[in-house]
Parts: sequence; C-alpha cells; structure tokens
Amino acid sequence: MKKLAVTLTAAVATAFAAGTMLASGGALAQDKTIKIAGFGAKSGVVRSFGVNSEAALLAAADVINKKGGVKLADGSKAKIAVEFYDDRCNAEEGISVIRRIAGTDAVVAIGPTCSNVAEPLFGILQKKVGDASDSGLQFPVFTDVAIKVGLAKISDWAFRNVPNEMTMYNSLFYWLKTTHPQVKSIYGGVEEDFAHSRATWYVVMKTRAEASGFAVQGESKWLLNDTNFATQVREMKKANADVIAISAHPFTTCGVLKEMQRQGVKPKVLVGLTSSSSLETLQGCAKQAEGMIIPTSFAPVNKEAKYAAETTAKFKGAADLHSMAAWENVFILKNVIEDAKISGKPADVQADRRKIRDALAKVKATEGLLGTTKRDEEGEADKPYLFVHARKGEWKVLHNPL
Amino acid sequence: MLDFLQAVSDGVLFGATYALIGIGFTLVFGVMHKLNLSYAAASIGGAYCGLLILQAFAGAPPWAVFLLAFVGGGVIGWLVYLTCFHFIPLANPLSTLMSTVGMLLLIDEIIVHTTAGMPQNYPAMFDDVMLRYGEFSMRGDLLLVFGVSVLGMIALLLLLYRTRLGLATRAVSQQPVAAQLCGIRLMRVNALTFIVTGLLGGLAGAMIGASVGALSPLLTTPLTVKGLIVTVVGGLGSIPGAIVAGLLVGGFENVFQLYRGVTERDLYVMLLLFVFLVFRPGGLFAVKGGRD
Amino acid sequence: MDFYFGLAQIIGVHTLLGLSAYIVLLTGQVTLAQAAFFAIGAYAAGMLTVLAGWHIVPALGAGMVIGSATACAVGFPALRVKGLMLVIATLAFGEGVRLFFFNFDYQVAKGGVQLGPLGGEGFRQIRFFPENGWSTLEVMLFIWLFVVLAMLVLWWFDRSRYGAVLRAVGEDELAAQSVGINLTAVKVSAMTVGGAIAGLGGGLYAHYTTHIEHASFNILVATFAIAYPIVGGLASVVGTLLAVIFVQGVLIEGLRFLGDWRNLLFGALIVLAMNVRPRGLLDAQAIAWAKRLFTGRSGHA
Repeated sequence: MKKLAVTLTAAVATAFAAGTMLASGGALAQDKTIKIAGFGAKSGVVRSFGVNSEAALLAAADVINKKGGVKLADGSKAKIAVEFYDDRCNAEEGISVIRRIAGTDAVVAIGPTCSNVAEPLFGILQKKVGDASDSGLQFPVFTDVAIKVGLAKISDWAFRNVPNEMTMYNSLFYWLKTTHPQVKSIYGGVEEDFAHSRATWYVVMKTRAEASGFAVQGESKWLLNDTNFATQVREMKKANADVIAISAHPFTTCGVLKEMQRQGVKPKVLVGLTSSSSLETLQGCAKQAEGMIIPTSFAPVNKEAKYAAETTAKFKGAADLHSMAAWENVFILKNVIEDAKISGKPADVQADRRKIRDALAKVKATEGLLGTTKRDEEGEADKPYLFVHARKGEWKVLHNPL
Repeated sequence: MLDFLQAVSDGVLFGATYALIGIGFTLVFGVMHKLNLSYAAASIGGAYCGLLILQAFAGAPPWAVFLLAFVGGGVIGWLVYLTCFHFIPLANPLSTLMSTVGMLLLIDEIIVHTTAGMPQNYPAMFDDVMLRYGEFSMRGDLLLVFGVSVLGMIALLLLLYRTRLGLATRAVSQQPVAAQLCGIRLMRVNALTFIVTGLLGGLAGAMIGASVGALSPLLTTPLTVKGLIVTVVGGLGSIPGAIVAGLLVGGFENVFQLYRGVTERDLYVMLLLFVFLVFRPGGLFAVKGGRD
Repeated sequence: MDFYFGLAQIIGVHTLLGLSAYIVLLTGQVTLAQAAFFAIGAYAAGMLTVLAGWHIVPALGAGMVIGSATACAVGFPALRVKGLMLVIATLAFGEGVRLFFFNFDYQVAKGGVQLGPLGGEGFRQIRFFPENGWSTLEVMLFIWLFVVLAMLVLWWFDRSRYGAVLRAVGEDELAAQSVGINLTAVKVSAMTVGGAIAGLGGGLYAHYTTHIEHASFNILVATFAIAYPIVGGLASVVGTLLAVIFVQGVLIEGLRFLGDWRNLLFGALIVLAMNVRPRGLLDAQAIAWAKRLFTGRSGHA
C-alpha cells in the first residue's frame, strides 16, 4: 500500500514536471502572435487586483486583435497573446515568474501587483542598459499596479504607468485650501507596516499639506491587520483637526471610519489613500466613508473610460485605477511595439525586447484614458487625475482639474 | 489615568474573543496533547459560513448569522479532525502539526477564493450603542460580544464538568489508556472534542466579525499568534487559564499600545509571554501532568 | 534555462532553511525560530556587502557567526520550555526578531544615495551578484556549493556518534540522560548549528532577491522551515531536500498549469502527504527499501 502511494506520488510528480516543461515551451504559432506576459497577485487579500488586471489585459488585447493586431517590422500583422502568471505577492515567486517569462518568447511583461515584489524584481534586472559587467536580467517590465514611490529608477528595464501621488496630493491640498479657506489643520492616520501607505503619509501627504499651508497636528498609527482603533481615534478626537487624512487600505480604513462614527469624530474634510478609491471601501463602509475625497487616475468620465470599463467587465474584471492602468499599458505597448519595429520571430526575441525597452525609454508622453500622461527619465508616469468623493455608495467625481 | 482605564477597558472587552480562541487551542491540547494550528482559521471560516444565510435570505437578523456561524464552526471542526487527527497515528505529533498547517493554508485559500480576498461586512448587534460616563465610554456591541463569549465559556465548563461527555473528555485527557479500559471510545471522544471546540470557534469567529464589523483573511494570522500566546500564558490544558489569560493579553496589548505606540506593541506582548515562560512556565493555572 | 537555474537557487536556499530546522528537530525540539536566524543572517550579510563593501563569502561567514551566536543564546532559555510550549515560545521569538527589523534603521550615505535598512521600507539594492557580473548559473552553483556542504556535514553527523546522541535525545530524554548524555550540550549545540545554517541561508536569500524587509521573514517562512524536514522525513537529510523539491518544484511551480486551483491544492496536498506518509516522504522504511534496490540482494539480511 505504501509502495503504491510512493509510486503514485512519483508518477504524479513526473507528470507535473512534464506539465511545467510544456507550459513554458510556448504555444505553436498558427497566426503570427506577439506574446505579452502579465503577472500579479491572484492570492491572498490582494487577489482582486490580479483578477482585475488580468481581465483588463485580456480585454485590451481582444480589442486590438479584433482590429487586426500589431504591425511588425516586415509589415505583417500579429495578434497579441496574453498569458497571466500568479506571483502570490511573494518576492521569490515574482522573481521566478519573471525568469520563467524571460524563458518564453514573450517580449514584454506587465506587472507586478505588489510593491514588495516589484522592488526585488527590479533589483534583479540589469541596472544600466548596455552595462556588460552587470549580469542582471535584460527584460522590459511595464508596471500597472505596484505604486510605492520611486521604484522605476532601480533599473533601466523597469517602467511604470502608476499615478504620481506627489503631484495628485499636492494638487488636492492646494485645491482644498482654495475652496475651503476656513479649513486650517490636518491630522493623519497611517498604516505603518505597509510600504505604500506608510510612504504616502510621511513623504507625500504630510509634506504636501504643509506646503499648501495646513498645520499638521500629528498622526495616529496602526498596523495592516489591526482591528481595534479606539486609542487612535481618541487621539484624533483630541487633535480636533479640520482635515483627517487616512493613508491606509480599505480594511483598516473602514475599521477606523466605523470607530470614528462611534466616537462622534466628524472632521470637516476626510481624505483617503489612492488605492482605497475602489469598490472594496464602498462595500465595506459606504455610510461611514460618505464624503471621503480621494485623488484618482481613473473614473468613467468619458467615452474611452466607459468603454474600457465595459469591455473589462466582459472578461469578469472591475475597472479601477489599477486595472485600467493595465488596459492603458497594452495600448501603449502596441504603439511602442510598432515604433520599435520588432521582427516577432522567436529567434530574435532578445533583440526585440531590447528594441521595446529602448522605444519605451524614448516615449515622452502617452495617451491614457483620462488624457495625456507625461513620462519622465526615471521611467515613471505623471498621469492626469481627478478628485472623487464617496456619495451614496458610489465614487462620484468631485472636481476634474482637466 | 482616564486614558489608561479606557485602554484597559477596550482591551479587556476585545480580549474576550482572544479567550475563546485560546480555549479552543487549550482544549484540544489538553485532550489530545496535540496542537491544532488551524483553529483560528477554522473559527474565521465558521464565521464566513454564517454569512451564507445572507445569500439565501437577504434580510436575515444578525443572530441567525451567528447561529449559522456556530454550526458552521462545528462542521469545520469535525472536518479538521477527520483530515488531521483521525487517520494519522497518534504517536506522530509532528505530522499532525504539519497537517493542521496544511488545513490552515487550505481554509485560508478557500476563503480567499470565494470572496476574492475582499473584506465581507459582518452584522453586529448594538453597534451604534455607546455607554458613556463622562469622558469614559464603552462600546455596546463589545459588551454584547463579551457577554456572549462569557456565556459560551460557561456552557463549555458546564459541558465539561456536568455531563458524561465532559467526564469522558477529562478522563481521556488525564489517562487515555485507562479511559479506554473503562469503555470510553477514544476516537469518538476526540471527534466530539473537535466538534465542541469547533462550535465554540464558530461562535468566536462570529463575535470577532461582529466586533470588527468585517471579516477578512487578514484576521487569521494575528488571531493564531494571539490565541497561542493566550494558551501558553493561561497554561496548556487549562480552560479557566485561557479565559483569564485572554482578558489579560487583551488588556495589556492595548495598554502597551497606549504608552509605546503600535510599532512596539507586539514586541511587548512577546516580552510578556517570555516573562511568563521564565517565571511561570506552566502558565497561570498550571495543569498537573498525568502519569503518561 | 535561466528559469531552471533560478528555481534551483530557490530550492537550494530553502533546503538550507529546512536543514537548519532538521538538526534541531532531531533533538525533539520543534522550533519556529529558524526564520529569525534566517533574517539575522540576511540583514547581517546584506549590510556587510552593501555598506561595508565586503566580498560575499566573508559576509556570509559573518552572517553564519551572528546567526549561530543568537541561536546559542536562544538555546539556553529554550531548555526550560518543553514540547509545544517551545513551539509557541520560538514563534514569539521569531515575531520579536521580525518586529525588531521592522523598527531597525541604519542608513549610510554612499555616493549621494542613502543605503541600508530603513525600518518598514526594508533594505533595498543588495546587488552584489549582478554588480559583479555573476550569471544565474554561477549564483546557482555558488548556492549549491553551500547546500551540498551543509548536507555532507549533517550526513556525516548522522553517521557519527553525534548523530546518534542527537536522535537519542529526540527519542527519549530521560533514557538519554540516564546513559550520561549531557542534554544541555546536545540541545544547545543543535540549536547553534541550526542557527549557523539558517544564517548562511539568509545571507544567500538577501543577495538573490536584492531586497529584504521584515515581512520577508514572517510566520509562514518559519512554518515552511519546519515543514520541509517534517514532510520530507527526519530519517535522512535527503528527505528535507525531497520535500523542498516537492513544495517548490511541484506544488508551486509545477502546478502552475492548474491556474487558480494551484493555491487550493497546496494546502490540500500537504494534508494528504501527512496522512499518506506520516513519517515523511522519505522515512526509515523507504530508505531501507532504496538501499535494497541499489545494493541488490547482496545487502545484509
């Protein structure tokens, strides 16, 4: 019985090993295809990000393919094939995934979801292109979601299409000061143990609020999976600031907002974190979040944005600032691929990747769903944005600076 | 001074939920001398099961959700017993430990898959009630959670000390061989222990969901860690110990946070644990070991 | 090919993590602290190569020394605590170390950029390997050099009196004491060796991921550390290696074609493995069977 179990396990293991080989071998080409890989987190609390990004990628590729596909150097057209890999928001797995992708004939990858995967992943890429002494991986990565400030400069092969929180919050606080002149002080709430939310309060929100003339009265801290916010909200109550800015993800944001309701803390203005302008916050605490203002780089305010949202919904994904960045990335890459004039043949894949990287680096502006996005030398984006606020269970546009 | 009292009061009320989780860990350890690391996850899983009733009847009252969570917890508890403890020979504590880890991962993944990882709102009772005495306030819903937890603990103690099943359970925990010689069916007692702790766990999960206002997979890890700390501080195998320790840990945790901030809070909780391990390794209510 | 080398790197480092728990498990101590020594080795080696400009080999050595010193210091109080209380105590210690690194800032300005660990943001740009032009293959071989060394050392222990003494303590402490074995020396030495191997693994981990933070060394990592030797079987070091290949190679990478089901199967297959083979994938019976297979009937009866 035991021997049978061992033999079966061995057989199953061999089958899986064979499966790995087959899966990484690449598909047989019938039409000409260009492979764009997507990767992100489809596990854990961030699963919805990966699911939405994948849907957006598939939807965008589908739209392009229906219109004929991308043009290659020899004038022929190729369809875009998207394959999505789950990195489970784990650094080692993310690195393994990008190596796996580099071993296929994919020419570029869109991802990752988590900033704690992006940082190590960019770290293993070649730092300066053309540096022969640097054995880092030479593969272009165009990020849709991972938003922690300052990551693209880690490598010449890394590019991002994520909103620039510095610009957005700067504009938000300036606008708040001009439209609400009686509002003078600000107090913060920070999720300390998550790189993004922490950096955003200390580096972005706090400094930009001060720059716009607000008096920063301090901040209350909590951790990502805290459930009891009584002490922190009591601190907020004592500070009695006009504005409360919460730099945290939906789970703790809702927890804090509910506690604020219980203790009767009602600031004149409530500001939130970009990532919290999603369905999750509204599902969790629409009533308590009423009136919360968040700057975002996506809202279905024009024809293209609405079309993108509808098409992504067909592939079972929700449209928010993160998944719509993935959508935009596919269209940007289409133009970049055509400008780079790649051959699309598996034998030239490394040369094609280099061409795409160089073309991406040259791009100074791209068309996003809300307008033109500027790109800087570090590979970061400066996306057009608008301010939304929570009204009756929906994110409605409060102010459109465009 | 008021801040301190407030912190203690908030912490102790929350601590009732830690006590429930601690009881689950300690009871399984007491009876089977094994650790069931998936207990906190199973409790949260039970709480999620409670939400299923809202899928069928959108306007179901909160107590119906709690009831279904209670039952769901029991079912999951039995499943954990079946997959981790029934077939593995009792002499292999390491493999049961590992299989409970596997179950923890499995339950977590099932939760993530069915909810796409997003937090699910949980009904609460009296969540808009705040009892105030001047500056001092106590949350009405936490008082209810505290009350229900206390009732659950009393019910468990009654079960253990006033029923035949309880007698059999205590017999098995002291002397499994002698108990079997007296005609007590070991496998049945073990399975029932798991079902009972599962029921309690489902209730704990529901209470935690009610006090937080939402359920999320994020809850499982800190609950597992705190539950284990409570178990050790209270004494492995002692239910009164787990109760007192739960309230203690809840209170201390909040006080540490008040004075040292949230980044160092957990460090001090660990230090508290080490203090106990050094000065009172048996825990608050050390259980005297049997002859086995 | 790079992908397979990368996977082999991961398997190598995880094997070191597993081996560090293996030796401690032999003495009957279930320890969830190996991730803590792993973390200490990672930060130490990273700081030495990035901030002090050391070559990776002495940096790894320093990581090993600090890891083993910490483990030795932990080993003594761990003696007071038995059985499952030790599990919880080591879990708490591991969390304590993680929280220490969460609060740990040590930045040095080098060439206009601030480098070094920065509390919750982590420690970035540990780029010794790519900066010195090491290819994926070279890094893999480098890692496996240490893995093979560690396995040989532990295998040699197993075949020597020390291994017998370790297992004796693991099987029955009272009996071991009554034949004159010094429990303290055995348990603390096992912890120290485990700490050294974990420190080594951590140093390598820091360099092949280039970015480490407190969350990289959480309870899950500590659990994996003991999972490998338990799932693999405590009869031999090869069991741990097999378990790492099973988890990293089959469950994580091999099952990718199953898409979303992969994550569900992960936990389920571990439960199944423990039910089907409670003494581990490679238990004493399986080793005896393999020996008979390879030495034929000429093995002694």
